[in-house]
Amino acid sequence: MRKNKKINLYISLILLGIGLNSCVQDLDIQPIDPSTVQTFNEPQVFAKVYAAWALTGQQGAAGNNDIDIDDEGRFSLYRTLWVTQELPTDEAICAWGDIEVVTLNRSSFTSTNPALKGLYARLYFVVTIANHYLMQTDGSSDADLIKKRAEVRYLRALAYYYLMDIFGNVPFTTEVSSTAPPQINRSNLFAWIETELKEMEPDMYDPKTAPYYRLDKAAVWLLLSRMYLNAEVYTGTARWNDAAAYAKRVIDSEYTLASKYKYLFMADNAGSIDGSSVNDAPNEIIYPIAADGIKTKNWGSTIFLIDATRTDGMPTWGTTGGWGGNRARASLVKKFFPDGNVPESTDLTVEANDDRALLFSAGRTLQISDVTKFKEGISVQKFWNIRADGGTTNDIEFPDTDIPFMRAAEAYLTYAESVVRGASPISGYSALQAINKLRERAGANQLTTVDKDVILDEWSREFYFEGRRRTDLIRYGYFTGNNYNWDWKGGVANGTSLPSYLNLMPLPADDLNANSNLTQNPGY
Amino acid sequence: MVLKFKKSMKTVLLSMIGLLMAVSAIAQTGQTNVKGTVRDVNGEPIIGATILLQGTTVGTATDMNGNFTLQAPGNGVLEVSYIGYKSEIVPIENRTNIQIVLHEDTEVLEEVVVIGYGTVRKNDATGSVIAIKPDQMNKGLTVNAQDMITGKIAGVVVTPNGGAPGDGATIRIRGGSSLNASNDPLIVVDGLAIDNNGIQGVSNFLSTINPNDIESFTVLKDASATAIYGSRASNGVILIQTKKGLVGMKPKLSYNGNFNVSTPRNYIDVMNGDQYREYANLLYAGDTEILSKLGEENTDWQKQIYRTAIGTDHNLNISGGYKNIPYRASIGYTGQQGIIKTSKLDRLTGSLNLNPSLLDDDLKINFNVKGMYIKNRFADTGAVGNAVRFDPTHPVKSDDEPFVSQTEGYFEWATYNDDGTFKSLNSDAPRNPVALLDKRNDRSKAWDLMGNIDIDYKMPFLRDLRAHLTLGTDISHGKQTTWISPTSSTNFIGGGYDGYTIQDKWNRQLSTYLQYTKNFNNQNFDIMGGYEWQRFHREGSYYGESITKPDYIYQSDVINWATHNQLVSFFGRANYSIMDKYMFTATVRSDGSSRFSPENRWSVFPSFAFAWRMKNEVFLADNNLISDMKLRLGYGKTGQQDIGSDFPYLPVYTINRDGAYYPFGDEYYPTSRPDAYNPNLKWEETTTYNAGFDISILNNRFSASLDYYYRETNDLINVTPIPAGTNFRNKVLQNIGSLNNKGVELMLNGRLIDNKDLSWDLNYNLTTNRNEITKLTTGDQQGYYVPTGGIFQGSVQAHAVGFPANSFYVYQQVYNSEGKPIEGLYVDRNGDHKINEEDKYFFHKSSPDYIMGLSSKLIYKKIDFGISARANIGNYVYNAVAAERMNVGPNGVWSPLGFFENKVMSAFDTNFTGGSGITFMSDYYVQNASFLRIDNITVGYSFDKIGFISGGRISATVQNPFVFTKYKGLDPEVFSGIDGNIYPKPVMTVLGLTLNF
Repeated sequence: MRKNKKINLYISLILLGIGLNSCVQDLDIQPIDPSTVQTFNEPQVFAKVYAAWALTGQQGAAGNNDIDIDDEGRFSLYRTLWVTQELPTDEAICAWGDIEVVTLNRSSFTSTNPALKGLYARLYFVVTIANHYLMQTDGSSDADLIKKRAEVRYLRALAYYYLMDIFGNVPFTTEVSSTAPPQINRSNLFAWIETELKEMEPDMYDPKTAPYYRLDKAAVWLLLSRMYLNAEVYTGTARWNDAAAYAKRVIDSEYTLASKYKYLFMADNAGSIDGSSVNDAPNEIIYPIAADGIKTKNWGSTIFLIDATRTDGMPTWGTTGGWGGNRARASLVKKFFPDGNVPESTDLTVEANDDRALLFSAGRTLQISDVTKFKEGISVQKFWNIRADGGTTNDIEFPDTDIPFMRAAEAYLTYAESVVRGASPISGYSALQAINKLRERAGANQLTTVDKDVILDEWSREFYFEGRRRTDLIRYGYFTGNNYNWDWKGGVANGTSLPSYLNLMPLPADDLNANSNLTQNPGY
Repeated sequence: MVLKFKKSMKTVLLSMIGLLMAVSAIAQTGQTNVKGTVRDVNGEPIIGATILLQGTTVGTATDMNGNFTLQAPGNGVLEVSYIGYKSEIVPIENRTNIQIVLHEDTEVLEEVVVIGYGTVRKNDATGSVIAIKPDQMNKGLTVNAQDMITGKIAGVVVTPNGGAPGDGATIRIRGGSSLNASNDPLIVVDGLAIDNNGIQGVSNFLSTINPNDIESFTVLKDASATAIYGSRASNGVILIQTKKGLVGMKPKLSYNGNFNVSTPRNYIDVMNGDQYREYANLLYAGDTEILSKLGEENTDWQKQIYRTAIGTDHNLNISGGYKNIPYRASIGYTGQQGIIKTSKLDRLTGSLNLNPSLLDDDLKINFNVKGMYIKNRFADTGAVGNAVRFDPTHPVKSDDEPFVSQTEGYFEWATYNDDGTFKSLNSDAPRNPVALLDKRNDRSKAWDLMGNIDIDYKMPFLRDLRAHLTLGTDISHGKQTTWISPTSSTNFIGGGYDGYTIQDKWNRQLSTYLQYTKNFNNQNFDIMGGYEWQRFHREGSYYGESITKPDYIYQSDVINWATHNQLVSFFGRANYSIMDKYMFTATVRSDGSSRFSPENRWSVFPSFAFAWRMKNEVFLADNNLISDMKLRLGYGKTGQQDIGSDFPYLPVYTINRDGAYYPFGDEYYPTSRPDAYNPNLKWEETTTYNAGFDISILNNRFSASLDYYYRETNDLINVTPIPAGTNFRNKVLQNIGSLNNKGVELMLNGRLIDNKDLSWDLNYNLTTNRNEITKLTTGDQQGYYVPTGGIFQGSVQAHAVGFPANSFYVYQQVYNSEGKPIEGLYVDRNGDHKINEEDKYFFHKSSPDYIMGLSSKLIYKKIDFGISARANIGNYVYNAVAAERMNVGPNGVWSPLGFFENKVMSAFDTNFTGGSGITFMSDYYVQNASFLRIDNITVGYSFDKIGFISGGRISATVQNPFVFTKYKGLDPEVFSGIDGNIYPKPVMTVLGLTLNF
């Protein structure tokens, strides 16, 4: 038994020993995943501030969404911006049954509209990442970093610009903290953006000296001119002279118009960067949002612009998808055919005598009686995944076509409109000259007179389906009210009057519930 | 720690081996072969009675006929015992054939149940603990462990996930206490807590456990029982014990097997080819272009994808005692086809259990190892929805172009160029369901090894002190390979797909405790204190590429991921009872988790329980009718940290993957995204109050148990919106909100007939559970809700204060005078003349109000007959299949995207055309899915000795034969409440055989 006793003791001691080994410090383990890091990488976060406009997450085309929303690509920044700015207007109408499409088509805006929720979340994602970048790189005197910080400030200001234009009175913050931001009113936000842009403008690259895809001073001037053009809407005080001044700076800069209108919307619209010696769109595009069939893909970028407007039977457009959704309302087509006589054609640029009439009418009707039938209504073929130089694109499903998000042509129209509305011409350059420069590029006849409404039509002819129409209609007072009732306005076939509170979108319900500092816009 | 751990473990193992080797064989002097039979007072043989040679560790057990054989000296003494009977001391007195009669113990049963970290006499249990031993006669009936408790225990709801072979189930105990965190109970097998998160390529995390190896299931329901498991126990705990061998028992071999045939139960009613052609001609009269796209066949697509499936199951186990080491070893094989063509499963399991008792029973060692190897082929369940949707006028295969050259003959919808040449397959169209199954080869191979050693040691210097140590580990590896043909409609553009996903897991657990027991006067007292350390490690990788198009990049490089988490706990328990009448239990547990920041890491979970054994009171002690009566009261707190994210409190950056680079100039750059994080995240806590009453009468022939419980969860962890601009995402994991569950559980057991030849056992259980969310956001916003229950467009469920979680949130349909719904016309509930989001309302929920289970077993001589049934009452299901296919208008037949799609016949009940954009959000589609399901009907015949077979049983069973319900979809039992593309559960006929050698 003695042997047993010794063994017993041995065992008791072992068990006790094991028991007393307290490994509480093992709770301090750190992440071990190779795809996450815990340190700030300046160039990579900088790239992300740009990427947030072009992509929906850290996985192309989808799979690692930046925001929490169902259907990553359907609620990308660009696509939600586009549907908000185009579907409730006289330019576009969509045949699908998606809830955001159906309600935006007829200007029925609610605080639970998923496209508005997505747009809001994406824009604040940009704001927060930008705030983070600026906090982390604060106090640096590196010349390169100063330029980058200016560009990040620009992108943040651009995000706030859209928030101001679409939602008006929004939460405002320039730092990342857990305190719920206070609500800023629209004119104060305008003032902040204006000051911000003017403050960092000297730090930006000179026009056309930045690496392609990065922003320069011309982007600042163009945004300022756009803000001043709409200042009466944003602040109540018109700023036509300032709009004209900044627009003129862009017109006089190194940026010019692309030699052909269509080049702006083709797969090699990055010109030499895309290996093209034919496409000179980079001369005009001030802010290209990148897309590439292999390296920069998302379901809500140019693939949406291309595929949503196509269906079988239209001229080869360069991608495999044809979703048959967005097409032109009759009012848009009448900008090119004022008498409403639209011939059947596979390419209406010929019949319209205007390179900008990239429309398809074979087997289509001008008027739409059933919104859900894509072939009722003229099809739009503005965007292509076809190269101007005839080469092959990188992919057959995802396009290489960049989004020409901001281009010099805008400056010409801004200038013309400001002058017509009372700004003093600069250096004798007239509104008519500016308009005719665009028409000359488009191979259209020169105009002899120009007035406010002609300019509104010209905005449409130049910029239809590029995501800006709502802003223009509001500025003219046509978006709501009774002055201009385009087809299917308000969900009625011949259009109907709309109440003026609809000029501002409702703040999304999620944020109203989460942030007690916010009050909803009037009327909602 | 790891280094020390390994070293200590080595020392323990060495000493163990040393001990085993040091133990010598029992001296065999003057041994004779002693035989005998053990019977009860009625002359019936007692199976499994223990015969022990007094003063030694030599023993055996009686067989199916009550017989035993033992090597013993003629002057030895036998101790004969069996649960429920008084033990007998029988001197051998040189006899070689001894007949022994055991008398029933009218004293209360000494039945022992397993509780957390130990065992307790059933009657001393103060918490809500239900133990069931799987019926010996139902062996071989079940393919998966969870089938054994389906419908048997009040408060435990087991909902099968689907009908695919090997599909697991969702187990809920007393409703779900979380919204976002896991609602799964903690499952502990032989003392080792297993990881609910599963293995890649294995649908059921309980697959490793062969149902034939299970000795008992113990379910701990209330907090006073579960609090001892602290952080993982908010949703209840299931303790599974596997079978063990007996000391000195001669090796006993037994075989269990079955052969089964499964058939689909029902199909969705859709149009056939002729009906469809007629309808299309009606809608598109005169449009020859569209009508020319119709075919001439009458293809029943649903019948094309289902088949009669066969399966088989074989298990062999041997148990006995080799010298001093009782052992049990088993191997099992299951081969099962699924009713959807191409799906099948092959599974091999093995287990070994050794539980030697050394040093005069002072050192008890329990060694378990279980292994599993499984091979699966998964069918593309998209075939189910496509079979309903696909045009019945076209054939499965065609001799025409472009099918012969492009899709290996399978008919698919294609797109064409302006010149009429083939362009591509239409990626918006429904897909040929047979092609989906044939062209996808989705296989998995996985293995899992679980092992643990339990060492229980009674201190020699203090006999009342006991030390226990458990070391356990669980290692698994799963690889799933997916191959999709380049001619398939799903991956036509991509040139097919060839990819894999690998997942490896390694979990380790160490727990140790000391327990001190003291009995004096009329009081029993024991106190226990311990420590537990658990580390979970998961990693994996995945990759996929095109088969024919090297330029089509699904993924440019292999993606690797890895993560881990750690739990450390200290726990203690004290039990005190007086006069066997009043029992008190108190437990406390302190848990730390690596998932929270150091400030929020630890939390304390206490519990208290009291039980009053009313039977032992003077007024009941002599009562012959009532054999036991007990009142139980309990209170406890448990925690939850299974939130799906391992480091939600740490700021980290995610680097981009393929297709998400951004260019500057002509170069592409990677991007880095700061991820949303919440440094204040902490434990979710659930507080439970439980009151229970147990009674049994007529010598435990009838028993009943009634429990009332109230569970409140606070600091609910949920992904909720945060103010824009404050974090890197619009929603983040936060502790927001609270919810509660309350309900009543009733269990009735009875032996209605108890004769020599005929017996009839009946078990009935009833559960009610009411779940309500009481807080959901930081503010007190009226009308705030969180949408959940996503479907093809939007969502139809929501969480809101004052309603059960995941209630349906839809529009109120308006009907015409004939009772037909008017499309898109809903009640304007707020009277503002607009129909929008504000007119939605909460309409029912997916969880049932009442759940009942009934099982009956009738035994007449050698024949047994059993039925098990279950009913859910008050559960609703959103019929997404009907909602998605409701458009009977022209563009619901010929889609503007270029294809025909079939209609379900139920769409003609409503004649909707989908134009309103919100037609599918109607409460019309939220349908009552209350059901009564007969789970199985079994007939069996037990037989005696045949040749060298000592006994056995043959049986025939039909599983899932009947479902009575008003629900119009395929199956009313849908856990999430959204009936979309489910793999339907088959009707299975099983022939089983049990042989004992």
